[in-house]
Parts: sequence; structure tokens; C-alpha cells
Amino acid sequence: MKRLILLPLLAAALALSACGGSSSTGSSSGASSSAKSSGGSTGGHTTITLWEGYTETEATSIKALAAEFNKSHPSITVNVQFYGNNDYALQKVLAAIAGGKPPDISYLYGSWAPNIATNPQVVTLNKLIAQDPSFNWNDFWPAERNVATVNGKIIGIPALVDNLALVYNKKLFKQAGLATPTPNWTWSDFQNAALKLTNPAAKQFGWAYVNDASEDTVWRFWALLWQAGGSILSPDGKHAAFDSAAGVKAATMLQTLAAKHAIYLDNGSDNYLSVFNNGHIGMLYTGPWDLSQIVQAKTDYGVTTLPGDANHQTISGPDNWVMFNNGAARTAAAWTFLKWLTSPAIDLKWATMTGDLPIRASVAKLAGYGNFTKKYPGIATWASNLANATQSRPQLTVYPKISTAVGQAVQSVLLGRAQPQQALSQAAQQVNGILAAPG
Amino acid sequence: MSAASHASRTAVRERPSLLRRLLRSDQLAGWAFVTPAVILIAVFALIPIGWSLLLSLQSNNLIAPPHYVGLANYKALAKDPAFRSAIGHTLVYTVLFVPISVGGALAIAVALNRRIRGIRFYRLAVFIPLVTSTVATGIIFLWLLDPTFGLVNYVLHLLGLPQQQFLQDPNQALYCIVAMTVWSWLGFDVIIYLAALQGIPEDLLEASEMDGAGRWATFRSIVLPLLGPATLFIVVWSTINALQLFDEIYVTTRGGPLGSTTVVVYYLYQQAFQFFNGGYGAAIAYVLFVAILIVTLLQLWIGRKRVYYSS
Repeated sequence: MKRLILLPLLAAALALSACGGSSSTGSSSGASSSAKSSGGSTGGHTTITLWEGYTETEATSIKALAAEFNKSHPSITVNVQFYGNNDYALQKVLAAIAGGKPPDISYLYGSWAPNIATNPQVVTLNKLIAQDPSFNWNDFWPAERNVATVNGKIIGIPALVDNLALVYNKKLFKQAGLATPTPNWTWSDFQNAALKLTNPAAKQFGWAYVNDASEDTVWRFWALLWQAGGSILSPDGKHAAFDSAAGVKAATMLQTLAAKHAIYLDNGSDNYLSVFNNGHIGMLYTGPWDLSQIVQAKTDYGVTTLPGDANHQTISGPDNWVMFNNGAARTAAAWTFLKWLTSPAIDLKWATMTGDLPIRASVAKLAGYGNFTKKYPGIATWASNLANATQSRPQLTVYPKISTAVGQAVQSVLLGRAQPQQALSQAAQQVNGILAAPG
Repeated sequence: MSAASHASRTAVRERPSLLRRLLRSDQLAGWAFVTPAVILIAVFALIPIGWSLLLSLQSNNLIAPPHYVGLANYKALAKDPAFRSAIGHTLVYTVLFVPISVGGALAIAVALNRRIRGIRFYRLAVFIPLVTSTVATGIIFLWLLDPTFGLVNYVLHLLGLPQQQFLQDPNQALYCIVAMTVWSWLGFDVIIYLAALQGIPEDLLEASEMDGAGRWATFRSIVLPLLGPATLFIVVWSTINALQLFDEIYVTTRGGPLGSTTVVVYYLYQQAFQFFNGGYGAAIAYVLFVAILIVTLLQLWIGRKRVYYSS
């Protein structure tokens, strides 16, 4: 769920995808003749290509790790290639598949997984994982495994994981004479604090909410829905279930706080972060991606788990490493590399270098884990909060449509344009239509 | 080789061969000059245009192998209420954007078409928004129009006027987009008008003055008709731009709030790249293409009847 500002060249993208879509029956053997640029396998030595969109620290770290791997695995060479902004990754990979030269491994957003799974070039990993008990698939967090799995097919290995926790400005809490949030906070504790931290004259808000009706609006709502004991869809996945009493309770909290101007409504440009750092917002629901800027701004902050109603669940938006088929030798090499990259020791190294959360639960038991949490104050809360990310968004190709319908509903409540029950019922009706539609 | 030279030798007597004629004529040089451009246009425009026509007849998520569905995408479009409201937003936007930007540009160009101190500065000031990137413009307006921390609301507050929600109000957002795009595109129209104004012969203006015409009459009867070709170009160009509005929406409102700024191209983007309905997106593109073609031909037809070409 890492979001980057982007500016698509729409026409060019459509043209590319048009070519890609219409000729995606391209060869699966790849072109091993051009081994230098696209990878290949000759005389027991295999060269594979990895596509990523990392910048800054992460960019240098992935190159350093690949170099380390290449040294310790003389029969494999991993070429790390920067493909630009992660937002375009899917289109570029699709174009490469159409051209017959897909990368062996690519970083792809978790939200694309159900759609990516429909491509025949994607390597299904179930067998490889089952054959190798040392890989220990269950060591990955449930949220990660859910996002990598589509209808039972494992189509990726977790590359990044995050989740929402409560970040608060200690100075504003002191000014308002409030005790700082605890992991046991309830919704009513949270609402009381949000209202006390609100001061329209001083342009001060208790809380912030991303109100652009995108998935950024929606996933925050899912966390609230789950905390109140609700679920997104019915158990059989055929009907909307978010218009339940739990959903209405969650939407009503948004309505109440918004009506009292206790929420800074962010228009989707992530202004909330600078407003928070300037001391105008008391509390944020946010992930580790904001941490470095909060530290840089020298905000006196604390981090704790989200306030709870029936429970303290959070939501996670993991991304995947997806493998593409370029023949058996290269698939084996790619698998060897991913196993190594996502092994607990290397993952801790990566986390310490970049500040990303560890993707495996067992990393917390390693000796060096203390150095990691010391280097990034507050990160330990997000890391342990992954245990609260027990549910995931439904893995459906139509999820983006569902998200849009719910985003409109949440936005209409936040803007005071609709009552919670009315907005959610209307969205549920739309979602039922989307789920019922063929294809 | 010998056969060819034999052929050409015999051909000289009767009729020069095709090759010979080509080599001798100016045509070869002409084709040599345009070929690189033609290839580029074919690769980057004509082939994609053909592909997307094919795409619009497919059910295609741009990921899995597609299958042919005939006109199903177009039939679904005809019944799609979201597409209809996207058309509505696009029309409202176009009907506001084109007259305001053309009229505004004319007024500014006339004001800037004189010898006054600091004229270069004013001309530069009008042109700068055009060369500012859309992303930067978007971010500037997001902050200017921010309901809590924005400069515009601060000014309204000083004037004792009520605070507005601007881009966060479904009833205001589209009008804010109009204001923002007029600001950023005006410079282009002004430059065209300035060039046209400076092409108006002085003797015509003097003659009309001697005939006793006032400034308004001169403007209406001499200047405005002579600006006809420039106006036609600007209107056609602005209309096409307005119907294809996307970037500004993408960097500011993303079609919101509550879908109030979802214009046709933004809806296309949503369908193709967020919902993975590539075929449906291509169908929208084709409907838009035909609509723009019709509007443009209509404008050119009216222009042919109404515009005065001095030469």
C-alpha cells in the first residue's frame, strides 16, 4: 500500500496494454540468447532479472543484498533492475510478457494479486513451498499469506508488510491535560480524546482521515468495521456484510467526529502528515511509512495499537514478489534467490537497513532484533501489531469496484451528505450487484 | 542488376521506369523527409489506435488472454449511469472552460498589446502558468483552496465572507477545476491572440479612426473579424483539450468528492487501470474520439461560414 505520486501518460499506457493484452500468448521459454540483459542459463550458470521500484535507502539496500547473494551463490547472478515508480509496475510487466521477455521476479502491489493470478505466465508456488519445509510458509504473517494467495494458488512471496497503528502528539495531549493513549483504549476513550484535542479557533484537530474515497479511505474503514466485530462480505463471499450494525457503528463514529470538526479531512494528497508535524492534529491512524518524516520533524510522538471496540484489529496492505516463467532453470534460480532474500536473517538485515517491518514473525526472536527496534523508535509497536492484522480484504478481481462503492459511502458520511445506515445500505446494494455480475 | 539496367534502357525510349521517374522527381526527396515522421506516427499513434479499436471489442483485463465480445462493451456503455454522469460533468466543464478561457485570453491579449512600461513582465506573468507542470499547479491549488489552511479562505475570512470547502465540496469542486485550468492554460491562448493582434495592419485601424469609428466600434468591426482565424483555432483546440480533461483531475480531486469531478477520461482511467476493464476503457476512448471528431468538424464547418480570411 505504499503510495507514490504518479502522473500516467494515459495514452501511452493504454497503447502498451493494448499490445500486451492482445498478444499475451508469447513464448514461455524466454530468449536465453540475450543473456546479458534479460537473463538466461548457460553451462550451469543462470542469470535472472529482478524488477523493483525502490528509491533511496531501499534502492541501495536491494542492490547490496543482491551483490551479497551473487557472491555466495556463484552459479546464479541476480540482475536488479529499477523499473521506475511502483505504480506502473503492472503495465511494464505486462508489456514485457507480451514481448516474450518478462522479468524472473517483480515487485507488485498486493492489491493486484487476484488479477495477476489470471495470467498464465505467473509461477504458482504451492509445490515449491510444500517441497521445502525449511521455508516455513506459516512464519509469514496471516495478512501476508492471505494477499499472496488467490483461490488457493500462492502467486507471490511477501515483499513488504505494513499496518495501521495510533500515532499521537504527546505535546498536544499534555496541553489538553489528557493521559496518553494506551493499548487498552476503547473507541469511547478515543472519541473523548479526539473531541478534547479539537479546537477550531486554533485550527487544531483531534484526528485525521483520508477522505478521497480511494482505497486509502476504505481500508481505514475496514479496520473500524472489524474492531466492531463486523465483516466485509458474508461467509460465502456472495453478499455484502459491511452494512451490519457493526458497520453502522463504525460509520457513526466517523459521522459524529466529522460533524464536530474533530477530523482533519485529507484530500488524498497526504497533507495530513505535515499538518500533524506542525502540531495541528492530535492523533493519526498511520503506518511505518510516515515514521521517518515524523522523526525528521522532531515531533514528540508516541505509537500504540488502534483503539478497540469488540477487539483491537488493524489492517495490513502487503506487497509481493511475483515470479514469471522463463523456463525451469531460471525459475529454480529465482526461487533460490527469493528463499534467501526472505529468510529471517536476511530479512532482519533488510529491515535494519531500510526501516521496513520484518515480514516474518520469527525475526523478532533473532539476536539482532533489538538493534532494529532501537534504530527506529516506535517501530516495535507496528511490528508486534501485525498479530492484530488477522483479517484481510477479499481476494477478488472485482475488489477495486467494491472499494469504489464503499469509498463513496464513507465519503458521503464524512461530508455529512448521508446517514451511516443509508450510505452503507446503498453501497451494499451496489456491491451485491458487482458480486452477482458474471466475469 | 543487368536485367534492371536492360529494362531501364529499353524503358528510356518509350516511357521512363517507375524507379527512374521517382529518382528524377521531387517526390523521392519529399518521401525521404517525411518517412521518419510517418514511421514514428505509425508506431506511436496509428498502430495503438488500431489496437485499441480491437481492444474495445474484447473482454480484456489487460492481464489474462482476452476474448472477443463484439459490441457488448458499447452496449453496456449505453446503459451505464456512471458514464452518463461523466459525460454530464465533461459537458459542464467544457461549456464553462472554453468561453471563459477564450474570452479571458482575448481581453488579456488586448490589454497586453500596447507599449507600456513593464509589458514584458506582464506577458511573462501570463505565460508562466502554462510552463508550470500540472502536478505543481495541482499541489499549489490544493493548498490555496485547502478549507482549513488555505490562502483563499483566509482572504474570505478577512473580508468577513463565509468559509468555503472548495475542492472538498461536491457542489463546488468542478468549478474550482474550471478556475484552475483556465489559470494554467490561459497563457497559450493569449500568445496566439497577441500574435494575431500584431498581424492586424495599422492602416486599417487608422482608416477606421479617420472614418470616425470609436474604439469599441473599431474593435467590433475591424479587430474582432480579423482575429477570426485565431479564434477558430483557439476554440477548436480548447474544446478538444476540455473534452480530454484528465491530468488536473488526477492530481487534485481524483474524480471526487462523491464523483462530482469524474469526467469521461478519468472514468476511462478508472475502468481500464483500476477496475481492469481494458476493453470497456477502450470503448469509452472510441466513443470520446467520435464525439470529439463530430464536435471539431461542426466547429470547422461553422468556422468556414463565419470566419473572415483576409488573404
